[in-house]
Amino acid sequence: MLQKLLDKLAAGGVHSYADLCRELEVSEGLLEQILTDLERMGYLKRVGADCETHCAGCPMNNACAVGRPGQIWTLTEKMATGRTI
Amino acid sequence: MAAAKTITVALAGQPNVGKSTVFNLLTGMDQHVGNWPGKTIEQKTGTFACNGTQCKLVDLPGTYSLSANSPEEVIARNFIITERPDVVVALLDAAILERSLYLVAELLPLPAPVVIALNMMDVAEQEGMHIEPHVLEAALGVPVIPMVATKNQGTRELVQAIDKIVHGQAEYHPQLPEIRADHLEVLAKIEALISSCVPEPYPENWVALKLLEGDSEITEMMRACTPDDVWEQVHDILKAHEDAIIDVAGGRYDWIRRMVRAAVTRPRAGQITRTDRLDRWATHPLWGMLILAGILGVVFWLTYTVGAPLQDLLDVYVVGTAADWASVLLVHAPAWIRGLVVDGIIGGVGTVITFLPILVIFFATLGFLEDIGYMARAAYVMDRFMHLMGLHGKSFLPLFLGFGCNVPAIMGARVVESERARLLTIMVAPLVPCAARMVVVTFLAPIFFGRAAAFVSWGLIGLSLAVLAVLGILINKIAFQGERAAFIMELPLYHVPNWRTIGLLVWQHCLAFLKKAGTLILVMAVIVWALSYWPGGDVETSFLARFGKLLEPVGALMGMNWRMIVALLTSFVAKENSLATLGVLYGASGEKVSLAEAVRIAFTPATALAFLVVQMLFVPCVATVAAMWQETRSLRWTLFSVVLLLVLSFGMGILVYQVVGWLGG
Repeated sequence: MLQKLLDKLAAGGVHSYADLCRELEVSEGLLEQILTDLERMGYLKRVGADCETHCAGCPMNNACAVGRPGQIWTLTEKMATGRTI
Repeated sequence: MAAAKTITVALAGQPNVGKSTVFNLLTGMDQHVGNWPGKTIEQKTGTFACNGTQCKLVDLPGTYSLSANSPEEVIARNFIITERPDVVVALLDAAILERSLYLVAELLPLPAPVVIALNMMDVAEQEGMHIEPHVLEAALGVPVIPMVATKNQGTRELVQAIDKIVHGQAEYHPQLPEIRADHLEVLAKIEALISSCVPEPYPENWVALKLLEGDSEITEMMRACTPDDVWEQVHDILKAHEDAIIDVAGGRYDWIRRMVRAAVTRPRAGQITRTDRLDRWATHPLWGMLILAGILGVVFWLTYTVGAPLQDLLDVYVVGTAADWASVLLVHAPAWIRGLVVDGIIGGVGTVITFLPILVIFFATLGFLEDIGYMARAAYVMDRFMHLMGLHGKSFLPLFLGFGCNVPAIMGARVVESERARLLTIMVAPLVPCAARMVVVTFLAPIFFGRAAAFVSWGLIGLSLAVLAVLGILINKIAFQGERAAFIMELPLYHVPNWRTIGLLVWQHCLAFLKKAGTLILVMAVIVWALSYWPGGDVETSFLARFGKLLEPVGALMGMNWRMIVALLTSFVAKENSLATLGVLYGASGEKVSLAEAVRIAFTPATALAFLVVQMLFVPCVATVAAMWQETRSLRWTLFSVVLLLVLSFGMGILVYQVVGWLGG
């Protein structure tokens, strides 16, 4: 399942939780757990996790979707360059 | 008489699955609370009787898995391995069965039999999930006891299951998660290498699996107790199979899916929420784009019908009045000081102030769309366009702002985490036609093209966006080697907007924007004003004018004289300067009618179109360039952008002039 997910992500593009849940046949709760697991393994990163420091002082700080209720995940360098599966 | 045997039962489970309730139900008042040895994590133990057998119940810390991610997880697994409880009760939340099963997938390979206590069955039923415990039991190969701990349902059955498993009277054939065949071979190799080194009581196969997973605690332990030459071999294998962790964890998730598919019936598919219904349209590849285009259209309409008149009022009553007062106050001052204060400082700061109505409308619109949950969808559907450029939907947010002003667009690029994508966003942001550029186009297009002005204006916007897309693709291919990017977005539920939140956001953002962009414009406007003033105090003999005359041969390729070139160049201070400069150079003193007459005579249709094309694609204003430098912290990239846009704008201008001329314009 993780293999399928990573292959899909490796092809690029934006995927919604709903799309991935349908494809992987899992609930949003389990998908969240899978994403957290992949984050722990170093393949994914939460976008906006460091917003407090990264965006401090930016006038758009609170106007952007990053770090707001909709969580966004992005690939790490490990995923983008080092995956050898 | 021999003392009755005491058995040890470990209670495992995630936090908030009702472990304390079950613990209290089983042990009653017979509890002891302390700390785990060497830790500050609470340890609860208690006793209960089970068909005449004394049971010691140990409450393990709440954990989601048994990796070495936290002290709680290490405590839980070490207890099971070193203390070897007679049975482990895995307490699961039936309502979130999928998530709860991951812990079970890790418990089953450990050297202690597992009994599943499926708690919160009532909650699962209320949420429309139908779980068949006996099917789950058959699939898992271990006893499964349905429970509602808060109602003391299933407790007796749990105790009986514990008793049966301890006395070998229950079926126990756990179905373990699988891994790929090639990784099984790797696992066997590792196990063979470490078999004589694994300290008691750790199971060899479990240790080998944890090594393959890259478990930090087990790796450290085995590194310490394995001879160097053996460890080197193990290390080489592990390094060659670093990604085995994906297979191991993936095997667990596949296992979970199989179990859930076997035993759980989900809510009927017909129950679609309001968000689902709206998202069928809002995130549809075609309709989603059309809806977004419609929303953009409304934003433009609001900007031009509400923002533009307000901008004019501010220009006249605030900037104009301040300039008049300053002129009166400085009437006896040297001309350069008067010019510096009136044209440079007041003109520069005034530019910021006149942008404010447009920014308010943009921030309010964005705040509204954000607050109802739409912006995430906008970013999602825009992805197809942005991805062509190697950007993702999130870049749309700052670029969207670029329609108001390129400065916040560039500042807003901070939301893009990837350095490369952020840089790319900053590089292309000036190609988004800002309101100031549109003011110039809005004024000149009707003069040049009469009734066809609207068509020309939309064509110019389309051209800017097309160039933006092409440039983005090229920069991505050349500078970033077409690096692919993927994103996973959680689309929040739609909800009613909170007007106070939106108002507060608008206020905060405008204040911050004024503070930051105002100071930048102030400094940069003064510098550029100086370039357009000295050495003779007249723009026609200024350094900028000389530079314009140097470029006259280029202007000739577009049918432009040096005055038109200078008009374009002075737009570097602020886009509207093009109009003012044209007015001065054509002796119209800024009166629109006179200027209109004058430029209509001076510009042929081909030159006019080329002029507007250059205006749309030209180097952005100083505030934007300053923002670019500030955000990239790179003079090289800032200059690159300036030169690129200079070449691009004149190149496109020449092309348009030549093509229109060839067509008979």
